[in-house]
Amino acid sequence: MATFQEYIQQNEDRDGVRFSWNVWPSSRLEATRLVVNLACLYTPLKEKPDLPAITYDPVMCTRGNCKAILNPLCQVDYRGKLWLCNFCFQRNPFPPQYAGISEVNTPAELHPQFSTIEYTLTRSQTLPPIFLLVVDTCVDEDELMTLKESLQMSLSLLPPNALIGLITFGKMVQVHELGCEGIAKSYVFRGTKDFSAKQVQDMLGLGKGGGGGGGGNMPPGQMGQPGMPGMPGQPGPGMPPGSVGPMGGPMGARGPGGQSVLPPSRFLQPVHKCDMYLTDLLGELQRDPWPVPQGKRPLRSTGSALSIAVGLLECTFPNTGARIMLFAGGACSQGPGMVLNDDLKQPIRSHHDIDKDNAKFMKKAMKHYEALASRACTNGHAIDIYACALDQTGLLEMKSCCNTTGGHLVMGDSFGSSLFKQTFQRVFAKDARNEYKMAFNALMEVKTSRELKVCGAIGPCISMNVKGPNVSETELGIGGTSQWKFCALGTNTTPAVFFEVVNQHGAPIPQGGRGHIQFITQYQHSSGQKRVRVTTIARNWADAVTNLPNITAGFDQEAAAVLMARLAAFRADSDEGPDVLRWLDRMLIRLCQKFGGYTKDDPNSFNIAENFSLYPQFMFHLRRSQFLQVFNNSPDETTFYRHMLNREDLTQALIMVQPILYSYSFHGPPEPVLLDSSSIQPDRILLMDTFFQIVIYHGETIAQWRAAGYQNLPEYENFKQLLQAPVDDAQDILQSRFPMPRYIDTEHGGSQARFLLSKVNPSQTHNNMFTYGGSAPTHSDGGAPVLTDDVSLQVFMEHLKKLAVSSTA
Amino acid sequence: VRNILPAQGVETPRIRLRQEHLNNVHCSMDIFRCTLTKIPETNSILQKSRLPLGVLIHPFKDLTQLPVIQCQTIVRCRSCRTYINPFVYFVDQRRWKCNLCFRVNDLPDEFQYDPMSNSYGDPTRRPEIKNATIEFIAPAEYMLRPPQPPVYLYLLDVSHVAVETGYLKLFCDVLLEELEKIPGDSRTQIGFITFASSVQFYNLAENLNQPHQLVVSDIEDIFLPCPNDLLVNLNESKRLVIELLEQLPLRFNNTADCNSALGAALQAAYKMVSPTGGRITVFQASLPNIGPGALKPREDPNQRAAKDVPNLNAATDFYKKFALDCSGQQVAVDLFLLGGQYMDIASLSCASKFSGGCMYHFPSFHYVHNLPQVERLEHSLRRYLTRKIGFESVMRIRCTHGLSIHTFHGNFFVRSTDLLSLPNINPDAGFGLQVSIDENLSEVQNICFQAALLYTSSKGERRIRVHTMCLPIASTVADVIQSADQQCIVGLLAKMAVDRSLHSSISDARDAIVNVCVDVLSAYKATLSSATSGLYAPSNLRLLPLYLAALLKSVAFRTGQSTRLDDRVFAMNQLKVLPLSQLILSVYPDMYAIHNLHDQVNQRNSACHQGEMVIPQPPRLHLSAEMVDSSGAYLLDTGDVIYLYVGRNVHPAFIENVLGSSNFQSLPEQMFELPELETAESERLRNFLIHLQNQRPYPAVLQLIREDSQIRHLFSSHLVDGRTESSLSYYEFLQHLKNQIK
Ligand SMILES: [Zn+2]
Ligand SMILES: [Zn+2]
Repeated sequence: MATFQEYIQQNEDRDGVRFSWNVWPSSRLEATRLVVNLACLYTPLKEKPDLPAITYDPVMCTRGNCKAILNPLCQVDYRGKLWLCNFCFQRNPFPPQYAGISEVNTPAELHPQFSTIEYTLTRSQTLPPIFLLVVDTCVDEDELMTLKESLQMSLSLLPPNALIGLITFGKMVQVHELGCEGIAKSYVFRGTKDFSAKQVQDMLGLGKGGGGGGGGNMPPGQMGQPGMPGMPGQPGPGMPPGSVGPMGGPMGARGPGGQSVLPPSRFLQPVHKCDMYLTDLLGELQRDPWPVPQGKRPLRSTGSALSIAVGLLECTFPNTGARIMLFAGGACSQGPGMVLNDDLKQPIRSHHDIDKDNAKFMKKAMKHYEALASRACTNGHAIDIYACALDQTGLLEMKSCCNTTGGHLVMGDSFGSSLFKQTFQRVFAKDARNEYKMAFNALMEVKTSRELKVCGAIGPCISMNVKGPNVSETELGIGGTSQWKFCALGTNTTPAVFFEVVNQHGAPIPQGGRGHIQFITQYQHSSGQKRVRVTTIARNWADAVTNLPNITAGFDQEAAAVLMARLAAFRADSDEGPDVLRWLDRMLIRLCQKFGGYTKDDPNSFNIAENFSLYPQFMFHLRRSQFLQVFNNSPDETTFYRHMLNREDLTQALIMVQPILYSYSFHGPPEPVLLDSSSIQPDRILLMDTFFQIVIYHGETIAQWRAAGYQNLPEYENFKQLLQAPVDDAQDILQSRFPMPRYIDTEHGGSQARFLLSKVNPSQTHNNMFTYGGSAPTHSDGGAPVLTDDVSLQVFMEHLKKLAVSSTA
Repeated sequence: VRNILPAQGVETPRIRLRQEHLNNVHCSMDIFRCTLTKIPETNSILQKSRLPLGVLIHPFKDLTQLPVIQCQTIVRCRSCRTYINPFVYFVDQRRWKCNLCFRVNDLPDEFQYDPMSNSYGDPTRRPEIKNATIEFIAPAEYMLRPPQPPVYLYLLDVSHVAVETGYLKLFCDVLLEELEKIPGDSRTQIGFITFASSVQFYNLAENLNQPHQLVVSDIEDIFLPCPNDLLVNLNESKRLVIELLEQLPLRFNNTADCNSALGAALQAAYKMVSPTGGRITVFQASLPNIGPGALKPREDPNQRAAKDVPNLNAATDFYKKFALDCSGQQVAVDLFLLGGQYMDIASLSCASKFSGGCMYHFPSFHYVHNLPQVERLEHSLRRYLTRKIGFESVMRIRCTHGLSIHTFHGNFFVRSTDLLSLPNINPDAGFGLQVSIDENLSEVQNICFQAALLYTSSKGERRIRVHTMCLPIASTVADVIQSADQQCIVGLLAKMAVDRSLHSSISDARDAIVNVCVDVLSAYKATLSSATSGLYAPSNLRLLPLYLAALLKSVAFRTGQSTRLDDRVFAMNQLKVLPLSQLILSVYPDMYAIHNLHDQVNQRNSACHQGEMVIPQPPRLHLSAEMVDSSGAYLLDTGDVIYLYVGRNVHPAFIENVLGSSNFQSLPEQMFELPELETAESERLRNFLIHLQNQRPYPAVLQLIREDSQIRHLFSSHLVDGRTESSLSYYEFLQHLKNQIK
């Protein structure tokens, strides 16, 4: 039998899912005693090159309040042509098209390797994606120039049939009509006003008789339950080889693929029709022409511009996949959503101001952007924010725009930086099948066996407020629903989903000994197709009283750490920082108490199983991380970090919690080393990946050699190679990650060395240097002390052990 | 009494001062004219004469000869600031006595210098002393700020109704053709706004590839979409201006927008032009129905012939307030009104009235269905675009101590008692003012009026044009009556009647017109030594009843005949602003028989030659149906339209030799130009027409009307001597007067 390690990996590869517990406690009470919640990280659109293309509709359980989708875990009666729903135990007849089904002729959705499967709903309308650019013109000439170039370049990256629109803003907001002959045309709005969708519609002449086109006459999109009354099409290429597949049924009743053409709008035109025009228009785009008096900031109407963008899409393409892409070069300084005023003497709020309740625009601004985000979500539209400025741009206030719609949040210093340029290009990245890695207007539904309920989700999504019987009273993250909307979804977008065991203590272990969860994600593919991804998983139940080791063995400490990080960051958004830290500490201590082995009140006796051993370290770094320690960061940075933690998959999120450190030396190939100050050695080069930064740190000796230029001498070719190795490795990361990390090349004593020093465990500080003297062997090899008063991991562990074994705690 | 019209036109009375040498320097009567060529010595004499005392002035009239001088100091009276003029008295070589306030002033040394002859000596050789009309190039102290550049902003109605008329294409085409001739210099600025439901601006920055249209829909709270490049330097952005004018008509070709947010467009225009001052030109073809200044239809079409005419005044003070704001910032608003439907000219006109602007009306303009109006618009527009213009101007009118000015007529804002604010002045604008006699004038020989117009030329020069009129004093009622200028009186009475209509009612105004006639003739009768029966009028007032009878039948004052409210209100406005010669033509057009033109010398006037051209001088005819024979052809000159009426029985030779058709039936329905035929008849008529056209600032539209035409009424409605269902004939009018005179 495979180890749990392998089992976890297999499940992640196949289903894109990582559970904190892989064997489930069979009673509610025992579940709560496990300290770490039963929860998972699920990547709905995980890239799966082996997925068959299924072009018929999924078969649903006929029970009205179930509607689970036929899956490999269902029992099938081939003779009776029946299947047993594994969620509600309803016996369902197969639809007529499945008449030919048999043990040797099964459709793909019954094959065990297709516990994750994807259907293409060919009868649905095909909708091209929509991109609405919202461009700040209150920026320097150079910034605008380079931004314009990026935008012009992006036109070639978009699907040719995608619709594109342009809004620019400064003191005023301009909505540009595209494809005008002879005279360019745009509609201008005051940046000081908030406009309802109706007002935007009227003012843009999109109402009745306005000749606007693209009005609100859209055929209603396919919302609500995935899967229509079953009518699978022809046996698709997804049928297992040699199988005939479900056959019969009325075929070809319909034209190819339900293709339909959207009514074009004057403001949103297919890229292939208006790219030349738009290229010229962007080329002519000028800086905001309004004069800025001395001592003032430009009047920047970000809030109004976003409001108009949301309103425009709302009235032209409701319920159609779309991205509003905001390019902000500074903070909103007037009108709705302003985060500061135009007086340069008054800086933007800091964490300190917020703590002191001194951020006078913050709450009102947040309300504005929350309302916008909510409207965008209702219509399935995502909002991306690309903020490039040296100072803060108000991401804290605007965060709901990206966080609830699934939009990107990218933060950089300049639109001219490769960080922005590369990142922006990667928005349009394609996968191995040459398909965009982005999906739109997605709806994720979670179905559970009766013993489970859903507590909530944490991810870039919004609640659909669907309160089914499997929705728990207990809310964790965004709760009170079994469906969430992701207006934009990437291939690595990974929400956390929290569950609750509701089986009462003493009740028998459920029939079959397994619990089931089904994730149904309906979305608009970048090709415009409507697709449904279905993942069905099952895990064994175990009685925690009699069979705790079984459950313990199924603990996934990495998943648990990331899930805790998500919860902690989620709490930190509303709670006070110290409260969150205390809560994290309590949880860690309880976990150690529950799963550690020790003699009461003897810290030295404490030991814990291998699959728990890294967990305290993860928590140590989480406590020190930028997610929970805000005071070295601006509120915007904090917002950005938490945003990324909230959406990335387990691997990436774990790097964020505990950065990876590699060491390069002449002594051998690069090796991972402890994220510890002891790893900082004069003759080493370190490569640290914090997800947000890639830091190359040259040890003291290496730095001296480099300064002396040894790498340029032919006899020191190996030194040159040593210098180059981490650079090459860093490039690999820089090339692939979204958003592109900040690249820092520093050395011993360099000002940017702080990026490394703030992350490593301060095992040697000026404090404990004196305490422990040179007695510890690690100190004799010249590790660098770290100037910090933080406790080291060692001190932290001492405390933890003491508390875990304490009989009074 | 029936044929009293002088065949060769009404002679303008002459002013005769006792100082004979001054009679050579009088200001042109076309520019400055008084209802009386002699001023009554006392108010009581004036009252007994029953004549109105007032002055008409056409201050910026195009002149072929205008002395312009540039000097260090402009010599003015230190007390009342009167400009030195031909009518002052030189106490000695170094001092002059002001003819308005009588202060004795020193002459600057410089004044001894004669710039014309380039020598020192006699001050009376100075152009200021030799010309009653003169222009100074002002030195720096006449400028509060650097002279403004010429700024032209065009506001174009692009509502469905407006676009449907086809005016936009015509406007753009004409402006394109005249672009080089717009008065201005290297600083000239131009801008455009279009409006319907929204207001559309045009960014014409020279570095753009194409014009950018910026639409602002927030008409309740209008704002400028960008701080510059909406008004652009014409030379620098000419390429974009041309492109815009070529594209604009296409842009709105298929608009379905039925709204017209004129008020918002005006507010926006104000924001654009107010920093510099300038001219706003509005083309409006529909009732502004949304946003600020929105108006509602007020005319009851069933009541167009009623005796009482309501709604002659503005429905809102929006346009007046707006105009006053404009005036304060040296901005004038000109209106081109093209409506087929009621558009409330009574309200709209306030925009130009109080800002010193002007107004044109092309009722029922349509580029296909109303070619005469197309011709009119084109002629008017060419003139409008290319005529001289003065910016940031003021006109001050002074008069000799003892007289006072109490009421002004025209388009302006009265800034102080004698100062008219005229953000723009144009050469076609006339003004009137009423004068009262406050003191006994027996001590003085002459009285003077002086009008000084300070303006910025389109080349950026600050200039002052000064007109001085000098009139002798009369001491008897008879003398006063015999000095009366009947056309000037009609001109002034028409303006006064308009005011009466607006403040009281049209019937009041009509009564007042009749009463003046009765009173004047009664007063005259009283001066006659022997008691006489019958109706007598002095020869200089012989035409007064004829003109006033015609005035009662004019579009402005007629009742009992269906008259569209807008037409009436516009006609009233015209009476307030037209220069006198055009006003008279509009009230009592000149009619000539032209089917039998001769070159021969006329009894009274010697043959009129202009260069080598011989101009026929047909007699003017009474506007009576009796005068119009179906075997004749007639020209009816109404000012900006000259009708060519062709009777059905006119001699075929005329049709062939003059009109180029074989017979009456084959005459075209529409014809706006005489064919250039090489026949004597054709040449004669064309010469005559050229002669008529040369007498006005811009060519009138020539419109052919066949006797059997559906538009015959355009001609026949001008035959005002005849009676109609609702009005007296001239003869009946005279009978009526006779009965009234005691
Ligand atoms: Zn079921
Ligand atoms: Zn004086």
